[in-house]
Amino acid sequence: MIAPAVAPPSQSGIKDRLDVLQETVSASRLNCWQQCRLKFWFRYVLRLVKPSAPALYVGSIVHSVLQSWNLGRWRYRSVNLEALKQTFHENWKEEQVEAVINWQGEEEAERTTGWALLETYFRDTPITLDEKPEAVEVSVEADLSEHGLPKLIGVIDLVRAGGRIVDFKTASQTPTVKKAQHLHEAQTSCYAIMYRESTGRKETGIELHHLVKLKKPKIVVTPLEPMTDNQQTRLFKGIESYVAGLDREDFVPSPGLHCQSCEFWNECRRWS
Amino acid sequence: MTKTHLKSFHQPQQPKRKEITMAIVFEANYSKKLGLPGFSSHQYSVTVRSEVTDIKQVPAESNRIYKLLQDAVDKEIQHVGFLPKNSNGNSSDKPAPNGGDNGNGHDDTWDCSDKQKELILRIVSENNLDKQEIETLALERFGQGVKKLNRLEASGLIEELLEKYAEKPNRAQRRYPARRFQPGSAK
Repeated sequence: MIAPAVAPPSQSGIKDRLDVLQETVSASRLNCWQQCRLKFWFRYVLRLVKPSAPALYVGSIVHSVLQSWNLGRWRYRSVNLEALKQTFHENWKEEQVEAVINWQGEEEAERTTGWALLETYFRDTPITLDEKPEAVEVSVEADLSEHGLPKLIGVIDLVRAGGRIVDFKTASQTPTVKKAQHLHEAQTSCYAIMYRESTGRKETGIELHHLVKLKKPKIVVTPLEPMTDNQQTRLFKGIESYVAGLDREDFVPSPGLHCQSCEFWNECRRWS
Repeated sequence: MTKTHLKSFHQPQQPKRKEITMAIVFEANYSKKLGLPGFSSHQYSVTVRSEVTDIKQVPAESNRIYKLLQDAVDKEIQHVGFLPKNSNGNSSDKPAPNGGDNGNGHDDTWDCSDKQKELILRIVSENNLDKQEIETLALERFGQGVKKLNRLEASGLIEELLEKYAEKPNRAQRRYPARRFQPGSAK
């Protein structure tokens, strides 16, 4: 089923949309572009809306509770486990009002998994309750016009005291350091650039906090060094490719393992 | 070779040109402005002139004078002198933490972006907020006044203001439905 968010765009509508997409770039758009250009076309140009996968929904609710926890520390308010559990259940209900989730009868199991992940995180997190964050869920941007690139925009989950950028992730497999570093390099580099532009300081490090959905959930914290010049160059070349690709409307598919979880499988098969 | 023979090859000595050393005047100024509570700020600067005889001495001299002036200014600027009473009815002889400023001072320089500045002022204006209250919030959250907030901090303050005063959806409600469930409008 294809449920467009808006009426299918006209040719001029598509042109306008492409112009907008070239004015700014974000880590999520860049990731999607690098994964598959046709997926990018369906998601960001045509803006097709599909029912959410349960895993995505669990991830978003977990993120929202972690955000409440971080905001509590930022505001010097004590947030206990019971209050967080209540937030989790409230958000679980509220967010579904506007979202369509393809539960396939697994909602209760997914809900249990979600809270188990959070309980594990609050038990094993390296962040202490008295650690005041530098920033929580902040919108940031970086002007890259001097490099001939569009403006970089994004939202950073958390900046720990002292300038350590944190991104929370839910995952079904335990990540390795090298794999996590490689897979999330574009995202972490985007955050580093925006952090530097927003504060005038270099980040002291980047941490990926994976909440891993196993029978016995676990937390894996992957500490990464500050972004290197080489990583910045790789990111800028990636953004250059993004802009050039949009310019020539290069939306060919990139078949691979990621197709298994792609919501645009049917549309992709019909593409020619 | 005899001495006489040598002499015959001796060139008459030219009178030596007198070397003139031009003094290079090196002038340095160090200025610092700090925001203070109670809609105030104060500024102090020190200027010195020094002479160097060689242009190569400039970097070292600059380094020396910079440290000297900074120490001098920092030492003096800690004494804030008279302060008008702020909205809490207090005046203080202590500098605001990290050079805290406020949203109403005479210095109109903001460290955040123009867009952020406009948005903060618009939220304050549209909701008839007390600027001093916003200043206090900034001091609580970031240890410095609104004008001194960098872009990251200003972004945090804006989120806070929107949640607290503008009756907009909180940041989770704004972010997650958009980011997770409507990929077309994702960030």
